[in-house]
Amino acid sequence: MGVLSRTLKPNFLGLLKFLNNMNWFIVFFSLINLSVCIYEDQIGKFDWRQSYVGRIKFSQFDTVSTAKKIIVATEENVLAALNLKTGQVVWRHVFETASAGNIQLLHVGEKVTTVTGSNPYLVRGWNSATGVLMWEWSLTLQNAQQTDYSEWLVQNNMLVHMLPVFGSHLEVTMYNLLTGSNRGATSRLSAAWSNDGCILTGPYYTCVSGDMGSQLLLSLDVTANAIQFISKPLSNYINLQQSIGGNLRPLDSSVVPGFIVDDKKVILIKEGSFVMVGKELVDETASVAVIDGGSEQIMLQTWADDVKGFQLSAYSISSNSEVTEIHCSDPTMNIPEPEFKAVMCTRKAKEQFACRILVNGADDAVHLMQQGGRVLWTREEALANVVTAEFVDLPVSDTDAAIESEFDQKEGSVWSAFSRRLHSQYTQLQNLIRNLQGQSTQEDSTNALVRDYFNLHKIIVLITEAGKIFGMDNLSGEILWRRYEPGLDAEAVVLYTRRSARHPPHDAYVTVVGKHEETGNGYIISLNPITGNLVGEQTIKLDVRILQCALLHTPDSEKLHALVLLDEDETVQVFPISATSLVENLYMYVAEKESGKVQGYALKYNGASVEAQRTWSVRLGGAGGAQVAAVASRSRLERVRSPGRALADRSVLYKYSNPNLVLFVLDTPDPTHKEVVTAVVLDGASGALLGASQHRRARALPLAVHADNCFAYLYRSEKHRRLEIATMELYEGQERWLEPGAAFSSFASDRAPAVERQAYILPAGATAAAVTITERSLTDRHVLLGLTTGAVIEMPWAYLEARRGLTGGDEALLPYTPELPLHAEATLNYNRTIERVMGVFTAPAGLESTSLVLVTGLDLFYTRVAPSKTFDLLKDDFDYYLITIVLAALIVATYSTKYFASRKMLKLAWK
Amino acid sequence: MSQVKSSKKIKWALDYNQKNKTQTADLPSPPGYSQSANASYTESSKDTDSNLLLIKKLWDVALGPLKQVPMNLFIMYMAGNSISIFPIMMVGMLIVRPVKALFSTQSTFKMVEGTQAIGQKFVYIIGNIVNILLALYKCQSMGLLPTHSSDWLAFEEPIIRVEHIAGGLSML
Repeated sequence: MGVLSRTLKPNFLGLLKFLNNMNWFIVFFSLINLSVCIYEDQIGKFDWRQSYVGRIKFSQFDTVSTAKKIIVATEENVLAALNLKTGQVVWRHVFETASAGNIQLLHVGEKVTTVTGSNPYLVRGWNSATGVLMWEWSLTLQNAQQTDYSEWLVQNNMLVHMLPVFGSHLEVTMYNLLTGSNRGATSRLSAAWSNDGCILTGPYYTCVSGDMGSQLLLSLDVTANAIQFISKPLSNYINLQQSIGGNLRPLDSSVVPGFIVDDKKVILIKEGSFVMVGKELVDETASVAVIDGGSEQIMLQTWADDVKGFQLSAYSISSNSEVTEIHCSDPTMNIPEPEFKAVMCTRKAKEQFACRILVNGADDAVHLMQQGGRVLWTREEALANVVTAEFVDLPVSDTDAAIESEFDQKEGSVWSAFSRRLHSQYTQLQNLIRNLQGQSTQEDSTNALVRDYFNLHKIIVLITEAGKIFGMDNLSGEILWRRYEPGLDAEAVVLYTRRSARHPPHDAYVTVVGKHEETGNGYIISLNPITGNLVGEQTIKLDVRILQCALLHTPDSEKLHALVLLDEDETVQVFPISATSLVENLYMYVAEKESGKVQGYALKYNGASVEAQRTWSVRLGGAGGAQVAAVASRSRLERVRSPGRALADRSVLYKYSNPNLVLFVLDTPDPTHKEVVTAVVLDGASGALLGASQHRRARALPLAVHADNCFAYLYRSEKHRRLEIATMELYEGQERWLEPGAAFSSFASDRAPAVERQAYILPAGATAAAVTITERSLTDRHVLLGLTTGAVIEMPWAYLEARRGLTGGDEALLPYTPELPLHAEATLNYNRTIERVMGVFTAPAGLESTSLVLVTGLDLFYTRVAPSKTFDLLKDDFDYYLITIVLAALIVATYSTKYFASRKMLKLAWK
Repeated sequence: MSQVKSSKKIKWALDYNQKNKTQTADLPSPPGYSQSANASYTESSKDTDSNLLLIKKLWDVALGPLKQVPMNLFIMYMAGNSISIFPIMMVGMLIVRPVKALFSTQSTFKMVEGTQAIGQKFVYIIGNIVNILLALYKCQSMGLLPTHSSDWLAFEEPIIRVEHIAGGLSML
């Protein structure tokens, strides 16, 4: 026995040591596995994706294949097929964003043919059912100057390219559609009458030419072997005394060649002569389509009336009568500037028309209608161009609000408080019973827009380039409200949440600050983000341009944060005016993109109004014409809780958590290194320079992020021809400069923080960047990068840390490796590719671990991320049943054994 | 049983226990057993001897904690400085045992009387304190004692911002 124990004991301790080592390995591997990914059954559980194609440029019904589709080509250089019944994207091809991807022609026959690019052009054929590329050939034109005026046409399996030389001739070339082989030399049709007002409709090239008062309407069939030339005086068709005349507009969709003269008369070309349609345009802006409705030709018109709303009228050309069953007049339907994109009508029975009308509005929404104006589906294509987005909290439910108000009321006696308590508990009980009964109200309450326990349910307010504002449910992606603001130029637009829904009875309040489309002056829209209605200040059209705007940090008595505007005359306006006296300790900075000049202002209240004082000015990047590529400041949502970070030797490295830091990334031309990227960290209040770094032979990307004391920005290294991401971190050092809990002022300290810098290779192209934000910034920080591959990856800050590679054996720091790992499981959107990622927006949820993410681009993608894993939430596959059963079984076992034990004791006592 | 004893004697109650006790008390001594002989033996001859033995035994008890020190040192060395279940258990035992022993000093030396009692107690307490110090040293080297500034980092207040800034690229 003794021998055994002697031999075992060291082994046992050795085993312990081994286990310890193993533990280190486990810790190490858990550190390595920083990325989070989801399981297969979690697909679509926390996320959704919506696919868009962009504003429709060309579209045609695909009537050949069995599954009915609409083939569309869009301004976003997308070719797609939409399901005729649902409007879903069947297949989609996204071409290049630059002019190389511009779609010049869409022709749907047996196969879909597109011409894309601009010299060289690419002619491609696609299978309409699957979207598979069938053939492709390229075409380079000789004289490159005039190619912008090129016109394309498909006729009899030939691709016709027509290049007008105004005032001289037309060059017409025909190619075999499939092979690209040229039929012969380019034919030159002399056309001294051509000018830039001419239009090509079908095979006819039509012009208005001649002196004022005696203009001729000329048409030429460009594809005919023998020249067919139609020439009529314009006065035959319109009264030249009343109008200037000669404005031609093509029909939006037509089965026969035709055009509109002076926005009034519709002229068709039939059998080599002009035929004027008996009915004039009702409205000058009306969109016109001529269709083949069985035996007769029908002219459709649509326009938007200010009073009567959407208007659709149909007119039979052959019988000279209105077709009433297609007619529609709907004041509730709001389609600004409707435009026919594709129309198809068939005559099923004797008098029954079955029409499918694709209408595009100025708000980029595309509607598919039946005859009579019934909308089958609508696609909000404006969402393909989201400019900015904001997550807005939902209000609490009525019962919760009652409970909250109960605790708010301090006055009143004990008895009134007691009765309030009883009343609220009674309503709670009622709700509980109703929920248990499973009444229909329960369904309503799940759909109702109320805040959930973890504040994961929010509304996303999206502003699009088209000027349309959307409110979207973040859990389902359903559009709750939409509002078209034709006057809003969404180029530089700012969205502020001025009051959240946490302050009943006051409604939530968001404000959009942008420019007016026509004047460029400030344009302010105030909305209730829950309903989409205008509230408070409604819309304000300023008579001055805005330089910058700010949200006042102190709310007024109605919990509304005032809007502070700095206009081009450097005067300050405060909305509402009553909040003027609240302006205090507010500083603004304005950077000029083209010169790199940054101007700082101090906003002071002088007893009557707020004045902006110029306090500091700096020209970044020197005098040599630097350009500001990106500006990053701290997110308004971020609250930093931790003052420092623990090092390996258990001392603290205190962070320089100045909340007023701003990162400027500049492109600077340099005589020796061609171009230089300069990154400068300034204090936005005092203008103090706190950190800088420079990268030679590089071009900055407009991507920069800043959170707490960390900065990251991207640039393309021209020297190494790769993308690099540089990071900076500011630290105070081992000693804290200020007492804990002291007030931090940018002006109080003149000590410079220590700057750590590092740069990494990003083995992918990035188009968007953001950092995750959590409620209290206690969880790790991840950088979300939208890649050109359509992936959004989650990069832990531990990989990007600027202190990486410091010697000193800090095991919390990863050793420096130049190339960042892009794990497949770090991809947020797994296999759901997001085309053309343009922006990533993050917002904190009520859970500390979770951050909500919206990715915009051609597609919209929403998900939630947990950078430090969901430490405050049970896993969603948590086995509630098992644990309940086990608990219940244990309780039953405890009590039964107690009973049996007592019985046994009694029996023993009787023995 | 004690309840039965203390309760008043009820007229109709039968108490077997008491009867049993009295019966056992009345039992005769086994053959060859003499209480008087035993008492006189210890009284007369072996009195000093057993006292010495007791003192010796008690010195063993008093020196016990100090004798454990080398063993504890060895265990500490073998346990390593990593934080995992076995070293934590060992360190826990190292701390808890001497503390418990200190609290039960009185009961351990209950029967001690004599000249060396104070010295024995003193040595015993010293030995336990040495063990506690050893365990604390182990905790320190394992990093379990909150003696560094980073251990109190979570309780440090964040800064309060005074100035607020806004701005960006010119919106003109």
